[in-house]
Amino acid sequence: MKTLIIEDDEEVAAFVAAGLRERGHEAAIVANGRDGVQRASAEQFDAIILDRMLPEFDGLTVVALLRAEGVATPVLFLTNLSGIDDRVDGLEAGGDDYLVKPFAFEELMARLIALARRPMLGGASPTVLSAGDLEMDLVARTVRRGGEEIDLQPREFRLLEFLLRNEERLVTRKMLLEHVWEFLFDPQTNIVETHISRLRTKIDRGRAASLIHTIRGAGYLLRVLNPGL
Amino acid sequence: MGGFVYLSVRHEILTDFDARIIEETDALRRTFAEEGRDGLAATLAARGSIGGALLYGLEAPDRKRLAGDLVAPVSSGWTELKEDENDEPPEGTAAEIIRALVTRLPDGSILIVGDERRRANEALRGVLSAFGWAIGATIILGLAGGLWLSRQFLRRVDAMRLAAQAIMAGDWSRRIPLTPIDDDLSALARTFNRLFARIEKLLLANKHISADIAHDLRKPLASVLRRLEGARAQGADLEAVRSAVKAAIAEIENLLETFNALLRIAQVEAGARRAGFRPRDLAEIAREVVEAFQPAAEDEGKTLALRLDEPLPISGDKELLAQMIANMIDNALRHAPKGVRVEVAGERMPGGVRLSVADDGPGVDSRELKVIFERFYRADAARSTPGSGLGLNLVAAIADLHGLECSASDNRPGLRVTLTTADSSE
Repeated sequence: MKTLIIEDDEEVAAFVAAGLRERGHEAAIVANGRDGVQRASAEQFDAIILDRMLPEFDGLTVVALLRAEGVATPVLFLTNLSGIDDRVDGLEAGGDDYLVKPFAFEELMARLIALARRPMLGGASPTVLSAGDLEMDLVARTVRRGGEEIDLQPREFRLLEFLLRNEERLVTRKMLLEHVWEFLFDPQTNIVETHISRLRTKIDRGRAASLIHTIRGAGYLLRVLNPGL
Repeated sequence: MGGFVYLSVRHEILTDFDARIIEETDALRRTFAEEGRDGLAATLAARGSIGGALLYGLEAPDRKRLAGDLVAPVSSGWTELKEDENDEPPEGTAAEIIRALVTRLPDGSILIVGDERRRANEALRGVLSAFGWAIGATIILGLAGGLWLSRQFLRRVDAMRLAAQAIMAGDWSRRIPLTPIDDDLSALARTFNRLFARIEKLLLANKHISADIAHDLRKPLASVLRRLEGARAQGADLEAVRSAVKAAIAEIENLLETFNALLRIAQVEAGARRAGFRPRDLAEIAREVVEAFQPAAEDEGKTLALRLDEPLPISGDKELLAQMIANMIDNALRHAPKGVRVEVAGERMPGGVRLSVADDGPGVDSRELKVIFERFYRADAARSTPGSGLGLNLVAAIADLHGLECSASDNRPGLRVTLTTADSSE
C-alpha cells in the first residue's frame, strides 16, 4: 500500500511513516497543503493521511481541490482535539474517515487499510456478502450459515455486515461504535464486547471454526480460518 | 391657556351676577302682582335690612321714592349707577359702581334691582388668586417632582454604571441593585443581571477547570513518574522496565481520556455546537442508546427498562444527546450492584420534555445530590469504581446547551437524574 502523508508536524509524520514502512508499506511525506495537492494529483496513492491544520492550504481545502480535480484517493483526516464539529466538516468536504490526535498506531492502520480497500464509489454494490459458509442477504435481511438461517437483532445484523465488509481486516472498537451505533464517544459500559459476544454465539454455535476473532488490545477480525472445511 | 381659563371664568361670574339680579327682579314683580305696590315696598324694606343682600329702589310714577336707596335713571333696562349720589363716600375710597336693572312695573312705578360691581370683581379676584396659587404650586411641584424623578433615574443609571465598572474591575459577583419600581429601567437592570450571572458562571467554570485539572490530574501524573523512575532504578531488568512502561502508557491513556472529556465539556459549554441543532426525537435517540446498553446490562445481571411517550420533540445535536443519555445510563449501571433495575423514562410535558434515568441501587447521600453534576465529583462509595468523575458533568453541560435543567433526587431507594425543559419564559 502506498500512502501520502500530508502533515506539517514532522514528528507525527515521521512516526506514521516509520510505522507504515515497518509493516511493509510505502509512505511519502509532504509538509504543506499546496505540495500535497500537487503530489496527490501527480502520483497514484492508495490512501492519503491529511492533517487538518496545514500551511498554504488547510486540510479541508486540499480535499476539496483534489475532489474537484477528480482525484478519488481515499482520505483519512487527522485532527487535533479542538473542535468536535471538525469531523462533520471533514467528511462533508470529501474526506472518508477521521481520526483524532493522539491516536494509537493500530487504530490508524486499521482505518487506513479499511479505506484503501474500499470499493471505488459508483461501483455496483453487492446485495449478498459472504465469508466461508456464512451468507448475508442485504435485501432480504437474512443471514445463513451452512444453509441454516440465523436470527439476528437489527443491530447485530449491522455489526455482522460491517465485519463482513471488512473481512480479513482489523476493525477497532471505535470504528464499530462509529459505524454500527453512530456513537462518537466510547461508553464506559462494554457495549461492543457484549454485542460481539452475542453475535459470535449465534453464528458460531455448534461450529468447529469460529469466524469472529478478538485481537487483544486492538479490535476484531472476521476471518475464515479453514476455508477448505 | 391660562388666559382662556381667566376669560371664561370672568364671563361665568358676570353672567351669574346678572342672573341673580334678573331672578330677584322677577321675584319682586310676582310680589307686586300679588300684593300690590305697598306690599312690594314692605318686602323691599324688609330685604334692605338684611346684610349682604342686593340693593333696591322703588319709585312711584311721579318719581317719588317709595322704598330702597337706589335712584332710577330715565330709561329702563341695564344701567350703571354711582352709589347713593347724595351721600358723601368715605374719605379715600372711590364711589361704588352699581350694576342695576331698571324695570317699569304695570302701574307705572319703577323697580330697580342692583348689586355692587365690586362683589363680582371680588369673586373674580378670589378665583384669579386661587388660580394663580394653583398654577404656581403646579409649577413648583412639577419642577421639584421632575427634578426628583430625574435624580432618581440618574441615580439608578449611576448604580448600573457602578455595577458594570465593578464587574469590569473583577468583582464578578456584583449585580445591579434592584428597586421596587417596576419599569423599563428595572427590566433592563434584570436583563443585565442575568447577563452578569452568565458571565460569572462561565468564568467560574474556567477557573474551576484549571483548579480541577491541577488537583485531579496530578495524582496519575505523579504515579506515572514514580513508575518510570522505579523502572530506571531497576537498571538492566528488561522485563521490569517493559511492565513499568506498559503501566505508564495505560495511565497516560486514561489521562488522555480525561483530557478529551474535559475538552468536550469545554466545547459543549462554549455553545459552538448550537449551529448544528436540528429538530430531533429524543425518544428515538433514547431507544437506540438503551438498545445498545441492554445486552451489556443483562450480562451483568442488571435490568435496563424503557418507558417512553413518543415522539419527544427537541431541537438539538443527535450525537451529543446520545452521549448525554449514554452517560446517564453508564453512571447508573456502573455504580449499582448486580440485580439493580435502571429505568429510562421520557415524558412529554406542557412546553417541553422530561427525561429521567432512575435506579434502585444504593443511591447518593442526600447532602451530595446537589453536587453530583460538578466536575470531578465522585461519591465516596464510587472512588473504587473506574471513571473520571466527568460523566454527569458532561451530562449537565449537554443538557444546559439544549435548554434542559438537570436535577438529582432520591429515588427511594437509589438515584434519579432528571432532565426537564427549562421554563423558557424566564
